[in-house]
Amino acid sequence: MNRRPPCAANASPLLEGRGIGKSFGGLAALAGVDVAVYPGDVVGLIGPNGSGKTTLFNCLTRLDGLDAGRIHFKGVDITDHQPFQVARMGMSRTFQNIRVYRKLTVIENMLLSRQWRGARWPGLLRPSRPEVTERADDLLEFVTLVEQRVDLAGSLSWGQQRLLEIGMALMSDPDLILLDEATSGVNPLLVDAIRDRIMTLNTTHGKTIVLIEHNIELVADLCSRVVVLDHGEKLADGEVGAVLDDPAVSEAYFGRRGLNG
Amino acid sequence: MLEIAQRQPIRWLRRSGLLVLLVVLALLPLLAARGDGDGMVNNSTLFSLTQMLMLVTLASNWNFVSGLTGYIDFGHVAFFGLGAYATGILMSKAGWPFLPTLAVGALSAGAAAVLIGRATMHLKGPYFSIAMLGTFAALREIARVARPLTGGGPGLTLPPYLNRPLFYYLALGQAVLVVALYRWVRRTEFGLMMLGIREDEPGAEMRGVNTIFVKTSAFGLAALSSGIVGGMWAYQNTFIDPDIVFLDSRTIDMAIASVLGGLGTIIGPVIGAGLLYWLRDVVWASFLQWHLIVQGLLLIGIMLVLPNGIIGLLGDRSGLDPRRIWARRRKR
Repeated sequence: MNRRPPCAANASPLLEGRGIGKSFGGLAALAGVDVAVYPGDVVGLIGPNGSGKTTLFNCLTRLDGLDAGRIHFKGVDITDHQPFQVARMGMSRTFQNIRVYRKLTVIENMLLSRQWRGARWPGLLRPSRPEVTERADDLLEFVTLVEQRVDLAGSLSWGQQRLLEIGMALMSDPDLILLDEATSGVNPLLVDAIRDRIMTLNTTHGKTIVLIEHNIELVADLCSRVVVLDHGEKLADGEVGAVLDDPAVSEAYFGRRGLNG
Repeated sequence: MLEIAQRQPIRWLRRSGLLVLLVVLALLPLLAARGDGDGMVNNSTLFSLTQMLMLVTLASNWNFVSGLTGYIDFGHVAFFGLGAYATGILMSKAGWPFLPTLAVGALSAGAAAVLIGRATMHLKGPYFSIAMLGTFAALREIARVARPLTGGGPGLTLPPYLNRPLFYYLALGQAVLVVALYRWVRRTEFGLMMLGIREDEPGAEMRGVNTIFVKTSAFGLAALSSGIVGGMWAYQNTFIDPDIVFLDSRTIDMAIASVLGGLGTIIGPVIGAGLLYWLRDVVWASFLQWHLIVQGLLLIGIMLVLPNGIIGLLGDRSGLDPRRIWARRRKR
């Protein structure tokens, strides 16, 4: 595999969450989770349904408020930041339930996802600059949606919408990309395309990526590190091979009975 | 690309049609001035056209916020009212000339909208609508209670000034400017951000759009323009009181005009306001006793047949389907 070697452990993390806690009513979705993502990593975040993976993403991107813990991104404490501020700092994400602007065209979706850092009042009162449009067109080529350029995003197939979301996540030239089930509900051919794109992003463009994925094969293929969540707690965190062989992990995934016979 | 090529003649037709309409509208008062008083244009026609043009502006303002960002404002007449009272108070109590009072009215309405928007635009869907309904009702009561300033329930009388063509031209000028402004904003990055908020607000926020800034700026801009309409209306009417200024049916008219023409499109509210006025005249003339019932039934019928408004009938479906307004906010 030609993936980038994981960074030395003594490098400072790009993203670090300590003791992240989040409850919905009486249910603890996250109970004091620590995560660290180092520059150049591709980290897989796995765990059974309802284990808190998406909630962790929502906390990290500041969509959900935290009940406990702090989050640092690029060394800055972003715990009290607004989601748009975090996005402008270079963290972007995709969503489990696709969020494209359905009644806008594919190109408009892209233009609207540009890097808004430093965008001010008078500058906003003009159409997108040529360099932004150019970047959007390049990225549409990257995610193979050139022909759909002026189609409404809502008219694309599920898999194409996933690709569009990835394209949108790249528009802002982020340093860290969080992909939430980027391949779920996507046909096998497109899964391969998405896998290729993720790989290229990491190896060629040096992007740091965290992905929530149920496709373990894909995780084993792409990731240098895996974090396993179960019932809002971190069950394992380490090298792919070691984690996937961990009996506690298979127990969480397949249940006690599956293991003991 | 082919699609765009096919639309070229339609665009040309639309442009030349608009130009002819503008020229006709600009020349109308001249006909009246020549003394064709009983002919096509008399002072009362001019008066009702002025009212219609004011509704064009108000509906465009309302649609700019509600149609483009999806925040349905049930109390927009509050900003019209602030403008009306600014002109009323400054002219009758402080003896100011008319035009500077418009500026004061516009600024106070705009500033009020930014402040109120800061508080209410965190609310989603119907909650925002109800909060704005409350804001409007509260302002009406304040106008009633603050008697030393606003004249309270008995109202204020402004210096009378009968110059129908002047008001007509002011209303026409503002309508043209405002529609052109919104059309331009719609094509800028700011306009794209507004549509992004309408389509998926958390999504836009997580992609770096400062949604509260965009929403409140749009709200402030629309309110500023509604404040100017309010001031002109007050001077033209020469009398204001809380009930005729803070009139809930005025907000409803803005909403009906927008939805009728095409919610969330730029030209929709213009068409809608014109149609609403024409419809009202026709219905009024033919069903004196029943006009409100007939008008209501007609509107319900039109909504059912044309959810995308008149603009939707012409093939433009870029607007907002009113049936989706509150259903569209998906959970993440």
